[in-house]
Amino acid sequence: MLRVNILLLAGVMASAMYLVRLQYESRHLYTEIEKAQSEARRLDNQRERLLADKRGQATPLRVEQIAKDQLQMRPATAGITVYVTQGAAP
Amino acid sequence: MSRSVLYTSSPLLASKTPVWRSRLVLVFIAAGFLALVGRAAWVQVIKNDFFQRQGEVRFARTLELPANRGRILDRNGLLLATSVPASSIWAIPEDVERDKGKLAQMAKLLEMPRAELEKKLQDDDKTFVWIKRQVEESVAREVLALGIKGVYQRTEFKRQYPEGEAAAHVVGFTNVEDRGQEGMELAFEKELAGRPGSRRVIKDRLGRIVEDVREQVPPVPGRDLQLSIDSKVQFFAYQKLRDAVQQHKAKAGSVVVLDVQSGEVLALANYPSYSPAKRVNLSGAQLRNRALTDTFEPGSTMKPFTVALALDRGLVRPETPIQTAPGRITIAGSTISDAHPYGVLSVAEVIQKSSNVGTVQMAMKLQPKEMWELFSSVGFGQRPQLPFPGIVSGRLRAYKTWRPIEQATMSYGYGVSVSLFQLARAYTVFARDGELVPVTLLKSQAQAAGVRILDPNNAQSVRQMLFMAAGPGGTAPKAQTIGYSVGGKTGTARKQEGKGYAEGKYRGFFVGLAPVDKPRIVVAVMIDEPGTGVYYGGEVAAPVFSTTVQQTLRMMGLQPDMNVKPQIVVGVEESF
Repeated sequence: MLRVNILLLAGVMASAMYLVRLQYESRHLYTEIEKAQSEARRLDNQRERLLADKRGQATPLRVEQIAKDQLQMRPATAGITVYVTQGAAP
Repeated sequence: MSRSVLYTSSPLLASKTPVWRSRLVLVFIAAGFLALVGRAAWVQVIKNDFFQRQGEVRFARTLELPANRGRILDRNGLLLATSVPASSIWAIPEDVERDKGKLAQMAKLLEMPRAELEKKLQDDDKTFVWIKRQVEESVAREVLALGIKGVYQRTEFKRQYPEGEAAAHVVGFTNVEDRGQEGMELAFEKELAGRPGSRRVIKDRLGRIVEDVREQVPPVPGRDLQLSIDSKVQFFAYQKLRDAVQQHKAKAGSVVVLDVQSGEVLALANYPSYSPAKRVNLSGAQLRNRALTDTFEPGSTMKPFTVALALDRGLVRPETPIQTAPGRITIAGSTISDAHPYGVLSVAEVIQKSSNVGTVQMAMKLQPKEMWELFSSVGFGQRPQLPFPGIVSGRLRAYKTWRPIEQATMSYGYGVSVSLFQLARAYTVFARDGELVPVTLLKSQAQAAGVRILDPNNAQSVRQMLFMAAGPGGTAPKAQTIGYSVGGKTGTARKQEGKGYAEGKYRGFFVGLAPVDKPRIVVAVMIDEPGTGVYYGGEVAAPVFSTTVQQTLRMMGLQPDMNVKPQIVVGVEESF
């Protein structure tokens, strides 16, 4: 009887210790998730900002200025456009 | 036989202490345990709520999960407005270390005067004060690197407007709290804003989140808003308008481009404008969305409606001759005159030459009620159905109050007031063979169903007249553009000030459509108070119309409907 009791006691102790450890590990993992999530948010924000920057670099104003000043281009008009109709002779 | 010793009752081991002492110890220990049990019961059962609460107060935190504000996109999915994170610097005044050198450095980094910074930090009672909001992240990092005690940063969201001033009036802007203040940002605040969520968590000693207490309320991000605006068309229209306003030393100007088939607004620009991201020292003149909020007398641009009505009633045909000599007509004691006397003109020529007398003669055969019905059915005096703050309805008085002279002047656009946008929309009647199209600022896939107002044949006839008006011998040959046929009407109106007309102050405008046979767009341009002496709509507004039509139709990929002399020369440097 005594032996069974001691065995049970050891079992309870072991399970209690294991519980504590699991709790610790779960909290640890939780902080890891949190960290990963906030990193994801940060990257998301950064992506949004880069998209905005990219768009800022490609605004018609800037494109036109560069086309005009650096590349010596000029606006196309109907006079200098060749229209090709599908299925018909050019 | 050896003597046996009974160890259990060894006289050597016999305790001399009285039994009560061990009992007493036992009682103490038992009492100790009882106390523990009692305390445990107190904490866990009787006062459980209280202790739970105290524990939570110390470790549980409610976090707000901010919802991202929706983006505003143009019809091709290009960004017009988006939220990016920005750092805001805040401080607890009583904690801030008063290191003069460091504070001076911080003021310099934040580009604010020392005095202003000092003032913000003066109030020791406050536990929270913004030093500067929405600064660049790199600046915020440098500020924090100074290591001033009591100064912190917090991430907020800041709106960016890549398109800048070209689309400022349509897109609008938000305030520092990320709430819409103007334009679409204000009109669609509810959709764009989203709903912040929340979660309750337990943080450990180091401030790390270790557990969720309750289920999270996830944030609902704001919806993206796709406008009908084409940012390229918008930019070109704005640029041409700006150039024209500056060239003619005008006070302001507006331009509206409508897609005839879908009723979508492709561009809506005003000058002067502002940069939505840097809103300092903004004046009301810059903020005003003139195309929607300013009304004026439409002048000659009204004539096509009068003529269309006369055609619809069967009173005239396009070739019916009308005697306009001697260039004057007297109605109820008031004389209406033409700029030049023309003699006999056909109805089409009345529009082409923009004859007031000819228009009035047709108008006097019409009933005021009929005119009123047509004018209001094309939207004059009605608030345009746009989700926009501050839209005006213009003014069209009830026909019962019209005197004959008013009926006459209204036929050529005086005595009513409209906004440029209303005018542009009304011209869709001619562009769509007599149907008025509902307009929208949001992208729509389907072709819009119009409301029939004029007979298709008559609308086409008026369109031919508009084509003549923009052609040789018309009032606005400058509206022509390479490759595409255009039709339109000029208008020049004296500005009203107080009760009468202001001396020497005019508005020149032009409303037209292109291509004439199968119109795709309606473009309206208005130039306010040109200051160089040239003020006719055909001179100041028509060139803006011309370049805007050229660029817009080209970008829509529309093949020219007019013969174009090819200017492409292979192998030779072409010259213009």
